[in-house]
Amino acid sequence: MQAHPFRAVAMGMLLAVGVSGVLGQTTDEIVSVKRPAELRIAPGETARSLAPLALQTPLTRLSARQGAWIQVRTAAGTIGWVHMFDVGISGAPATGSNVATGALRSISNFFNRGSAQGTTSTATSTVGIRGLGSEDIANAQPNLAALSQVDSMRQNASQARKFAADAQLHSRVVAPLPAPAAMASANPQSNPFKVP
Amino acid sequence: MMAFKTLGFAGLIVLTSMQVHSEDARSALGGLFQNLLRPAQTAPSGNAGNALGGLLNMGGAANQGPTSTDLVSLLSQSLEQIDEPKEIEIGRQLAAVLLGAKPLHPNMALQRYVNRLGRWISLQSSRPDLPWSFAVLDDPGYNAFAAPGGFVFVTKGLVDQLTDESELAGILAHEITHVVAKHHLKAIQKTAKTGLLTQVVASQLKSDLAGGLSSQLLNLGKDLYSKGLDQDDELEADRNGVVLSASAGFDPYGLVAVLQQLRTATPANPLFALNFSTHPAPQVRLDQMELAMGQRLDIFAGQPSVTVAQRLARAGNR
Repeated sequence: MQAHPFRAVAMGMLLAVGVSGVLGQTTDEIVSVKRPAELRIAPGETARSLAPLALQTPLTRLSARQGAWIQVRTAAGTIGWVHMFDVGISGAPATGSNVATGALRSISNFFNRGSAQGTTSTATSTVGIRGLGSEDIANAQPNLAALSQVDSMRQNASQARKFAADAQLHSRVVAPLPAPAAMASANPQSNPFKVP
Repeated sequence: MMAFKTLGFAGLIVLTSMQVHSEDARSALGGLFQNLLRPAQTAPSGNAGNALGGLLNMGGAANQGPTSTDLVSLLSQSLEQIDEPKEIEIGRQLAAVLLGAKPLHPNMALQRYVNRLGRWISLQSSRPDLPWSFAVLDDPGYNAFAAPGGFVFVTKGLVDQLTDESELAGILAHEITHVVAKHHLKAIQKTAKTGLLTQVVASQLKSDLAGGLSSQLLNLGKDLYSKGLDQDDELEADRNGVVLSASAGFDPYGLVAVLQQLRTATPANPLFALNFSTHPAPQVRLDQMELAMGQRLDIFAGQPSVTVAQRLARAGNR
């Protein structure tokens, strides 16, 4: 009985961590350097290097992003920029937060969904918020009134072009990306985009 | 909710009947629901009319038309036999199921914005003339769905998590490429071929869906959205999605940033559960994106992007 208040507090803290890590932006995510890189003073390959980043250097990801470049903070407190693809989660040191190991767990759980009833699940179900799930789909009855409303919300091409012009968005010719080698045979000439 | 469903269903009956013997239906029901299912504006594509006609011709208990049977039998044959009007017709039925799972979000300014943004991106695709329709579902979860023929749905929970517009553009582009490449039709067809169809047909004999929509297709659709698409198709939509969003003028790293955010969530989190159970793990998707992108798209990246709130606040969006 004595333990209960403690447990409740611990659960509450866990809950707070879980919720902030998921509902907030990824400001506190710990990432790890995947290949030797440079910590740069600004986004871009040509920006001055602040320090070399050795393999598996842990970095705290900050919220700023510019294109492929994300802002990070080193353990020593230096703030700089790295290319998104130069950091990952593998090899990240275990920290007090379970955020860093989340993806690893996600992979194992992905293949073992039936038993995905860990602490997080228990904690978050206490919150009582869950997203659209298979059971909602299984129970769904076609809603034709809503479908009709979707029809009425549709925007035409000229409305879309006006939006783009106002937003200063311009169409660009971008070559399709080849499939990575392992998948190249799956769909070799898939190119659904027109290249004018 | 009940009232809505009843209305929707009544509308279907009226319009179904209208197509088959319109005068009877009109006089019988006084045309009360005549415009319930009619698009409120002229659709950008001539196909929309056909699609509507197709939906209405699903066959009720009284006039079991050949269409629903045809649709399902088409699915058990080849993709080439499903022409665009039929594709749209299938998509409408699946979209109605998703809309039956969660209602539309009431923020009409948001709905309009997502439609304009999505329509702009779809214009850069190889199928710019589909009746592209976008909608925000009132759901706290984090997910996005598409249906054949140009339907794209995102949850409000996803919209609330976005850091900026380039992320939403990346997500919409990912869904648009699923539609462009007919990934849903492929997946349904796979299920249809592997025998589930037989079970579905059997179950239909027991409980006809109040004589309305094709219950076979309904069940195939439910199966589809619970299980998700082929995992390679998801990875392909990631690759083609970044290219498509870049071609619409957006920072292609928006989608990559979304996947990095997803990486911090766990599949046990009930807000992300369906997303994780229907997609490859975020780290797998990120690794594949890195292999495909390298630095090829970096020249298209780095432009500043506004937040959704900033965009909605601009008068030009009204």
